[in-house]
Amino acid sequence: METTDLQASHDFFELWEKAYDATYGRIIDVPVMGPTREGADRLRKNFEATINLHAAWAQSIASFQSAFMEATRRTQEKMEERVAEEGVSPSSYKGYYDLWMETYSETFREFLKSRFFATDLAKLTSNSMDFQKSSRELIEENILRPANLPTRTEIDDLSKEVYLLKKRVKELARELRSSTEK
Amino acid sequence: MEVADVVESNWKAMRMLDVFLKVPEFSVGTTPSEVVYTEDDMRLLHYIPLVKSPYPVPVLIVYALVNRYYILDLQPDKSVVRKLLEDGLDVYIIDWGYPSGVDRYLTIDDYVNGYLDNAIEKVRELSGAEKISLFGVCQGGTFSVMYSALHPEKIRNLATMVTPVDFDTDDGLLHVWAKSLDADKIVDAYGIVPGNLLNTGFLLTDPFRVLIDKYVGLFEKIEGNSDDEEGEQENQETVKNFLRMEKWIFDSPDQAGEAYRQFIKDCYQKNLLIKNEMMLNGKRIDLRNITMPLLNVMGEYDHLVPIAASKPLNDAVASTDKETMVFPTGHIGMFVSGKSQREICPKISSWLRTRSGNDSS
Repeated sequence: METTDLQASHDFFELWEKAYDATYGRIIDVPVMGPTREGADRLRKNFEATINLHAAWAQSIASFQSAFMEATRRTQEKMEERVAEEGVSPSSYKGYYDLWMETYSETFREFLKSRFFATDLAKLTSNSMDFQKSSRELIEENILRPANLPTRTEIDDLSKEVYLLKKRVKELARELRSSTEK
Repeated sequence: MEVADVVESNWKAMRMLDVFLKVPEFSVGTTPSEVVYTEDDMRLLHYIPLVKSPYPVPVLIVYALVNRYYILDLQPDKSVVRKLLEDGLDVYIIDWGYPSGVDRYLTIDDYVNGYLDNAIEKVRELSGAEKISLFGVCQGGTFSVMYSALHPEKIRNLATMVTPVDFDTDDGLLHVWAKSLDADKIVDAYGIVPGNLLNTGFLLTDPFRVLIDKYVGLFEKIEGNSDDEEGEQENQETVKNFLRMEKWIFDSPDQAGEAYRQFIKDCYQKNLLIKNEMMLNGKRIDLRNITMPLLNVMGEYDHLVPIAASKPLNDAVASTDKETMVFPTGHIGMFVSGKSQREICPKISSWLRTRSGNDSS
């Protein structure tokens, strides 16, 4: 598929990110001070992660939009070709549906295989994970811990203990079995 | 659109609704079996043999961690398992279960040298066979390859189906996307990687076909059948089988984070397995240790595990008895298509049977 639109939207978002980093982004980076410093700093980081996630999301939507527009353009082109060849447009719903399905699938196959989609996907996933992690830390430190409630991090620590203990028990059972067999 | 068209459309909608209201209960994985071993979430199932004296070398089927093992026994008339049993083979299968938060630290080593090794020990104990046949499917095939290279003394035959071993290809979209994924961030954020997240990736490989066209096709098939009793019966079967597949597609277990991290990084990104550089718990996996007979089965139109990802296995192993089979079908078609029953299963079964007797070496 034509990559001009995809390149243009990538260029736009790159420009947007640079402009953001040079302006509002700098304000967000201003260090926090005072007794609530730690909590406020987590809020600041979460805000930054939210902005990055939204930017990546918007970029992905823009790329999908380009692919949809290209697929629609191709469908229209094929329709026109068919009208020119046969004198009529697909007379049934099925005729149009098949043309639409084939063209959309083909166009999206090209889009999904492009470096643009792989880049968008990697960026969206990465920013989404940063946002999740930051939100979790924020909730754990600013809400759960002050309320004396268990956190996911503590549960993970316990899970690791259980995992290591089970592993050790299995190893010992295996050693015991092999020494008994001897 | 005329009034007659509207009336006709309404009738079609009513008929469709009628078909869905009458769909009887359906089940999957119905071939009789018994659970012979359990360990954490993992279960080892032994299928009840269909012949008096099955072949002495048992076959252990190892499916992927993603999705469920019962795709190999989805419906009674399209079951890989049943076909193998009918041919006199003694069949076992591993059900990996549904990992929960406590399993997030499980590694590939835990799966291969832990669960899989224990299951194999159990099969050897129950069957009395010194060596068994491993039949690995998809990621389960990759695990089977790893196991066979590390413990060749326990494996008589290795059969792999739609199994990726050489991940450095751009033929499949998953291979393209996985190269850019930050597995560390995914695992650090989730711990247990949600099955739905992976499923979204699978659905994206052909979104219009799997999210729209598949359902349109179902309605067209129902609409195409006659109004009489025979047509009604056929429609019920169609919907039942369609729902079986729907259940399987969206029955996606979550993934143990550490195993997922290693699979993405070591296999998809660094491609260590085929280079004989992959390590499990300090032990290097050298594919040249695979000397047992090898059957490598793949689908020509497989968009999840392209031929380029499977084929190099035959050149990487030291086996002298090795064979490649390529069938003109896709990933899922390998298990549930008519072709699977008519051509693929009989050939795999025949390959296994000729190497599963007392006298075969």
